[in-house]
Amino acid sequence: MAMLQRRLLKRTLEEAKARFNFNCYPILSPRASFSTLPSSSATASDDVPPQLPPFDYQPKPYNGPSADEILAKRKKFLGPSLFYYYQKPLNIVEGKMQYLYDESGRRYLDAFAGIVTVSCGHCHPEILNAIVEQSKLLQHATTIYLHHAIADFAEALASKMPGNLKVVYFVNSGSEANELAMLMARLYTGSLGMISLRNAYHGGSSSTIGLTALNTWKYPIPEGEIHHVMNPDPFRGVFGSDATRYAKEVQDHIEYGTSGKVAGFIAETIQGVGGAVELAPGYLKQVYDIVRKAGGVCIADEVQTGFGRTGSHYWGFETQGVIPDIVTMAKGIGNGLPLGAVVTTPEIASVMAQKIQFNTFGGNPVCSAGGLAVLRVIDKEKRQAHCADVGSHLIGRLRSLQDKHDIIGDVRGRGLMVGVELVTDRKEKTPAKAETALLFEKMKELGVLLGKGGLHGNVFRIKPPMCFTKDDADFLVDALDYAMSKL
Amino acid sequence: MQRFIPVRRLLSEIKYSLRRQRRFLSQVAQSEVDNNDGFVPKMPSFDYSPPPYTGPSADEILSKRKEYLSPAMFTLYSKPLNIVDGRMQYLFDDKGRRYVDAFGGIATVCCGHCHPDVVEAIVNQTKRLQHSTILYLNHAIADFAEALANKLPGNLKVVFLTNSGTEANELAMMMARLYTGCHDIISLRNAYHGNAAGTMGATAQSNWKFNVIQSGVHHAVNPDPYRGVFGSDGEKYARDVQDLIQFGTSGNIAGFISEAIQGVGGIIELAPGYMPAVYSTIKKAGGLCIADEVQAGFARTGSHFWGFENHGVVPDIVTMAKGIGNGIPLGAVVTTPEIATVLTCRSYFNTFGGNPVCTAAGLAVLKVIEKEKLQENAFVVGTYLKERLTALKDKYDLIGDVRGRGLMLGVELVTDQELKTPAKLETLHVMDQLKETGVLVGKGGIYGNVFRITPPLCFTKEDADFLVDAMDYIMAKM
Repeated sequence: MAMLQRRLLKRTLEEAKARFNFNCYPILSPRASFSTLPSSSATASDDVPPQLPPFDYQPKPYNGPSADEILAKRKKFLGPSLFYYYQKPLNIVEGKMQYLYDESGRRYLDAFAGIVTVSCGHCHPEILNAIVEQSKLLQHATTIYLHHAIADFAEALASKMPGNLKVVYFVNSGSEANELAMLMARLYTGSLGMISLRNAYHGGSSSTIGLTALNTWKYPIPEGEIHHVMNPDPFRGVFGSDATRYAKEVQDHIEYGTSGKVAGFIAETIQGVGGAVELAPGYLKQVYDIVRKAGGVCIADEVQTGFGRTGSHYWGFETQGVIPDIVTMAKGIGNGLPLGAVVTTPEIASVMAQKIQFNTFGGNPVCSAGGLAVLRVIDKEKRQAHCADVGSHLIGRLRSLQDKHDIIGDVRGRGLMVGVELVTDRKEKTPAKAETALLFEKMKELGVLLGKGGLHGNVFRIKPPMCFTKDDADFLVDALDYAMSKL
Repeated sequence: MQRFIPVRRLLSEIKYSLRRQRRFLSQVAQSEVDNNDGFVPKMPSFDYSPPPYTGPSADEILSKRKEYLSPAMFTLYSKPLNIVDGRMQYLFDDKGRRYVDAFGGIATVCCGHCHPDVVEAIVNQTKRLQHSTILYLNHAIADFAEALANKLPGNLKVVFLTNSGTEANELAMMMARLYTGCHDIISLRNAYHGNAAGTMGATAQSNWKFNVIQSGVHHAVNPDPYRGVFGSDGEKYARDVQDLIQFGTSGNIAGFISEAIQGVGGIIELAPGYMPAVYSTIKKAGGLCIADEVQAGFARTGSHFWGFENHGVVPDIVTMAKGIGNGIPLGAVVTTPEIATVLTCRSYFNTFGGNPVCTAAGLAVLKVIEKEKLQENAFVVGTYLKERLTALKDKYDLIGDVRGRGLMLGVELVTDQELKTPAKLETLHVMDQLKETGVLVGKGGIYGNVFRITPPLCFTKEDADFLVDAMDYIMAKM
């Protein structure tokens, strides 16, 4: 009897809370309440969670191994270091545009895009077509023979670059791209010292581990003269958004920690793995100056921020008003194809001609055809403008959510590269690790797949395929609201 | 060639032309009589017509490459080939002309260009899910890892997936260093292992090494049966590794890495007895043995599935790429569960590694190799090809050495058989002429005087005959 009373009391309290929340909930746009009707009524009523926007697509029936079977095989044949998301990991078998499907055919909103990688959308028809058609003709021959795909793709990619950035090197991943960029910097300048930011992620190979500056990803191996400078982090950084004070740190590192000359500086304009941290405005301009005066080259890691994702600009570095000497790319460049690229000036490229440098798979016809299709789709479907539009709507709604829930310490980012940092104390900014983990699971149950980042794992990374709509954004925020309300 | 011909050579020439005439009678379609001397070799027939090519011309592509791609990007041939289509062991240029692909996109296309089973696997998976990362489950990576692990001996059961050979070797080197707590790695002179920071150190040919810091790698004397100072005495060479460790390191090292047959270095098979002796030395120094199977793996050597099996050893770590996916960007590292735990102390992640499409292709490749008995074919055709090439060596002084195993063969050209002076210009000339005749081979060795013959494993005896006849025809005219 007591238990029933307790349950009734709990339900009553929850209903009251829900109603209270609904009354306080600012309605930003009519869209929010009309286009996703079920979700606004969800906050009004009791336990009806928000609903996914409709989508006219039926996944194929899945007859393959179950999640448990796969997990068992992974544990046996793929090693203990291969981690995964969620207590009960998801068996994702199919994808279409901004949605993913599990083995039971359940649809999820993919708000992480395979780590900011599926830029145009899962199985986007145009890119699919390019890949399939080229795979039927020629998969691989290497650049020792000519083939038009690599040339056409290089030309198209170079045309997206400002300044004198027009020589393209194709590789197979972001790590390979950053490795190559480091090699170029050291060869070109004749110096050894590289500078990267604390909280950066630039790769998992032995050299790029040196540039990466998050202990979770750094194995105890020699790094070879790399300086990690203070992160110009507006939310957690000691100087807030004061770019000049952070830039002075770089100056000090060079003056005291090096011969006065460095090979180069590398940074993501919005740190990805580090938790969607946007560098303090004006930072790159000052640092690029300092580094160049020390004889170094400036490398922009666009592995996550490139290809229109930031909305306001095509490349992340453009948001800081600079032109780097070397740009590295991967992830979104091929919508999921194993592809990376380094673009630099003819001057810097010429030092690479001293010896032979060859990448067997790099620039293969299929990946080049896929990459070219991606560039065309981004332009044709005006993905960049779309990111700006949906992104600002998403960030707007998240900021409102921040007003509502104390647990949201910061909402940041640009376009469809957004971060939501959770804290247990707004003043201390204590990372809300456990809560983030809990909400992460809850969001999955509600049908939203987010990403997680930051050194303390307390930042939601929202970086969906760039075909993400405002309805998707609303659903995401409503789900987050729903989940947070139940914490 | 109006020259004094030594008796021995005359006899072998007679023997050879008798053999050739026998073959002419049994394979009537193979060649036609030239107006002048000898036969103009004719390509084996093939029932496939490529679709007409309407894309940019070779010149247009070349000028775009010059403008937008690396200035160091080279092509083979004085007049570079515009290759637009591939089917099994043949490639087609923009005019629809067919070539025998005796290089396999650098020992990469093992099942054959656009092999239907592999293409089907790729297309079907691409239409379903290209990429999601290993943060979520997907059966493709698990099934492939299982199938791959089952191909390896001993306790080599844990698979790491990367996107290239360089990435695989970099990971292997890092794992060896982490596992042992030591930094020194030994590789062989003339080796090629990759072009990133760590692998550039392991690579040991100056043309591939930039002037940047490459630390912690020691290069041992190459157990090269043809050019090495100890000939084929593997154990004598192995002593150099012992010396390197005793004098150049603390006595404990991270590991040893080698290719069973050096690819870029010119198809050099390590002297017999070398690997077992060295492996023993390395283990005594606490190091791990890494076998680079990027080129020699996946049935290419014919006698065994893996190159290292030819030497009777079991490594601690095996790296793979190239043939593993018939050309799709894929690499792998396989090791023991014990060594694999070393990465658990931090997080290692590879975004593209293990994606559904590449692993589906990898699984299809393993199935094709088994179903079509490609290992056996590599053995049979490879042995046959090597015999014919060896006979050609008897005929021409230009050929200094014929070596290799299965369908990983090398032909080294010299201007002087005793001094073994590399015949660099002649190699370029013959290579170009081979292309004109319709055969695409590769080039290797530090002097660029070795033909690398590493075709798709569906290569036939007829293809082999055509290749050798073409070479014969060209050399006869020199």
